[in-house]
Amino acid sequence: MNPPGRVAGPQRRGPGGGNGAGGGSPAPLGAQSRRRKQPPRPADFKLQVIIIGSRGVGKTSLMERFTDDTFSEACKSTVGVDFKIKTVELRGKKIRLQIWDTAGQERFNSITSAYYRSAKGIILVYDITKKETFEDLPKWMKMIDKYASEEAELLLVGNKLDCEVDREITRQQGEKFAQQITGMRFCESSAKDNFNVDEIFLKLVDDILKKMPLDLMRNELSNSILSLQPEPEIPPELPPPRPSVRCC
Amino acid sequence: MESDSGLVSPAGNNMKAVLCQRCASKVLLPGSARYCRRELFLPSMKKKNALVADGSPDGDMLTDHWLVDDMYTFENVGFTKDIGNIKYLVCADCEIGPIGWHCLEDKKSFYVALERVKHE
Repeated sequence: MNPPGRVAGPQRRGPGGGNGAGGGSPAPLGAQSRRRKQPPRPADFKLQVIIIGSRGVGKTSLMERFTDDTFSEACKSTVGVDFKIKTVELRGKKIRLQIWDTAGQERFNSITSAYYRSAKGIILVYDITKKETFEDLPKWMKMIDKYASEEAELLLVGNKLDCEVDREITRQQGEKFAQQITGMRFCESSAKDNFNVDEIFLKLVDDILKKMPLDLMRNELSNSILSLQPEPEIPPELPPPRPSVRCC
Repeated sequence: MESDSGLVSPAGNNMKAVLCQRCASKVLLPGSARYCRRELFLPSMKKKNALVADGSPDGDMLTDHWLVDDMYTFENVGFTKDIGNIKYLVCADCEIGPIGWHCLEDKKSFYVALERVKHE
């Protein structure tokens, strides 16, 4: 049950690789400029976020504003959404999030390493009413340790707060798990009631922003990290966990 | 949907914001896309199984589109999984769609059909 220990330390792996420089433009325009002929203010920077967790914990719901079942059943595309671009504004910055939902790829080793490598933020979700989804967390942490950038912000989310009567995992258990992992934040949410859902993304982005020096932010702007087709590589069998060192 | 209906600027850009017809989620800011004519087939928005990969889906041949060359130009948008070499664009919030079209062979073209969105 114990997550792989992450100890704050000086070591840092290099960035996740694959960052080709592109022709991004800086964003010097004043906020809310509405003058005619002026192009819209581009995003200040872009961040990749992935949502992982066991099957049925509500990953996809966290990406949606509406959870109106009748609608989503009737009108949603049946092929499923691969990823979304969402824009948030925080502390005067306009941030484009590229959010990857990994629903349908829940087997621990079926999510390509490309997803993890390029993620600046990782949202790890379990269902507070299903003990087994909480017990799966260490396995997900192994994948994060193996593939994700050291700098990636981690947020643990206990979802389905609307099903309080069926709760199997206490808030304290969730908190305790997150505390054992350096830099991991924790919150509970209800995608159904839209409780804490926006906050999840804002919290994550806020953490990423805080750690990001200004010059790096400029770089982020010009890096479109994940192409539309993540490499289809299947990660090999899990090797012994790498030395679990993670910087906060 | 004619180009002179107050949607397209003299420079060929969208004068109004492009929004989801259903939930008004913001897809594109004014001025961020270019008007473009091209015949593209988009599966129907109403039929539940319109997007199923096999068989011939119901849909419309649409010619009026907003074109952007970088997916990060979008304020909010969703991309479906690949259907052949196509990814359809859907609303990022309510996932209604397809509202647009992207071919994986042309990484610099993202189309949003004027008929599938509202303008404000």
